[in-house]
Amino acid sequence: MIVPVIALNTFREAVRDRILYVLLVFGILMILISRAIGWVSFGGENKIMTDVGLGAIWMFSGMVSIFIGTGLIYKEVDKRTIYTTLAKPAERWQFLAGKYLGLVLTTLVSLVLLSALFLAYLWLCGAPVTAALGQALFLNFVEMMVVTAVAILFGSASSPIMSAIFTTLVFFAGQLTKWVVDLGFIYQQTHPWLDKLLHLIYLFLPNLHNFNIRREAVLATQARLHMAIPASELMACTVYGLAYALALLLAAHLLFKRRNL
Amino acid sequence: MGVAGEGESAIKTSGLGMVYNPGLFAHRKVGLQDLDLTVPRGSIFGYLGQNGAGKTTTIKILAGLQFATSGQAWIFGHDVQDSRARRDLGFMPENPYFYEYLTGAETLHFFGQLSGLDRATRSRRTQELLAQFGLGSAGHVPLREYSKGMRQRLGLAQAILHQPPLVILDEPMTGLDPLGRRDVRNVILSLRDAGQTVFFSSHILSDVEDICDRVCVINKGRAVAEGPIHALLTGKVLEVSLAASGIPAQGVPELQGLALRCWHDGALFHVLVDSEEKAQSAKAALEKAGGTLRVIQPHKESLEEYFVRVTEVDGG
Repeated sequence: MIVPVIALNTFREAVRDRILYVLLVFGILMILISRAIGWVSFGGENKIMTDVGLGAIWMFSGMVSIFIGTGLIYKEVDKRTIYTTLAKPAERWQFLAGKYLGLVLTTLVSLVLLSALFLAYLWLCGAPVTAALGQALFLNFVEMMVVTAVAILFGSASSPIMSAIFTTLVFFAGQLTKWVVDLGFIYQQTHPWLDKLLHLIYLFLPNLHNFNIRREAVLATQARLHMAIPASELMACTVYGLAYALALLLAAHLLFKRRNL
Repeated sequence: MGVAGEGESAIKTSGLGMVYNPGLFAHRKVGLQDLDLTVPRGSIFGYLGQNGAGKTTTIKILAGLQFATSGQAWIFGHDVQDSRARRDLGFMPENPYFYEYLTGAETLHFFGQLSGLDRATRSRRTQELLAQFGLGSAGHVPLREYSKGMRQRLGLAQAILHQPPLVILDEPMTGLDPLGRRDVRNVILSLRDAGQTVFFSSHILSDVEDICDRVCVINKGRAVAEGPIHALLTGKVLEVSLAASGIPAQGVPELQGLALRCWHDGALFHVLVDSEEKAQSAKAALEKAGGTLRVIQPHKESLEEYFVRVTEVDGG
């Protein structure tokens, strides 16, 4: 019962925090502006609208995960609200799990709202809407589960500013993992140590590029297809995301479990 | 892993020690050293010490918030690092902080859920405690609008919400006016009457002296005195003050060399001596000079004077 109680309390905290609404308004504005951007594309209006809209949702959910996630643990320790919680029969892993799931729930609810608005807006504007967009939005959510875990990991060990910087770096570096591998391949013959180093970085960085099927979803939707990627690939990405998030949370627990408060 | 503590003690520590920043280049600070403490069940135990003596460190170790670098501690026989120890514990930190976005009622419900109370019990206890602590009308107000005293009272309410066998309070009187302190004292006494154990730290020694069964004085991380209050305060008379009427302002010559101080307030002539024997001699001198004794008041060592004495002896 401890984990759901802390998760719901974290959700309540996020919902009563103004920053969530600021980010939500930003996301809605980006979706609305996508149509104007589409107008200048000379015939690719629907494609641009869909692309920009998916990108706005991705950016919004990334900001929620980073800016709320990195402060979750630090705030509790700094404001000492954690004292009365951990003095109850709550293990530290339950506390971390509850905070994580609470923010994941916040992200999910926000994503569902924003996605519903986005899809309704597309439909009202006469743009095609298929299940391929649903696949992209679902993997967006799985990606944010990983990013939230990264934020919790850094937040368990450093200040919100440093955590936000590191998490943002990982967020963007994770989009570029494919190029990290390619770069290593280029230097394989001339600088094999660089290839090995880049490969090591690739292994540790979350491969967030895996979850980016926005381009495939846009193309599939324009072609009126309902699948951007096969179901097996969707499942593989999901399992990868959940496993990576779990590994990050275990690392966060190792940092946090013996920390003197 | 260590020997389990005695079942009859609410709290037991054995050689408890805490060293901060034991790294290579960091300055080593000893928070606690070799603390042996036993808090009997059903008692009110006062934990006294100057700022930085180690009171909060001890309390945080007992509450599972910090990890001792040596020794062990148990709550009702459970190691304090075991979550089972915290099932029997109600804890209020110094200057309690809660989630500002929650109301008072929501806060109690939240902690009630963490303590495993069912919905009906939570609702009943929340209403009871909000009323008991004068927060009934503020139950639906966000905590960001609470005063310091209101937060202190809510802190105590969440600590006793689930009626735990042991309640640990870190400076529960801080920020309270005299009426608030009286209410907290009454709550602590009622907890003991209900069979619960209360362990609390405080700087307000008069409150500790009024209600505690036992105290421990800690100085520089070590216990320097511990035991029942009536045993620590020997009852030795430190001073006796006398007041007599009918004595002229210039006083009584026989009192020179006998009294610590003499003075006339316009109505009565006052004498201060440092023993009961000298008080008898002063009384005789005043009556011989034609005065009528109005007041004879022995002054025994208070807890505060005892505390100052033992900490100064310990180099405090």
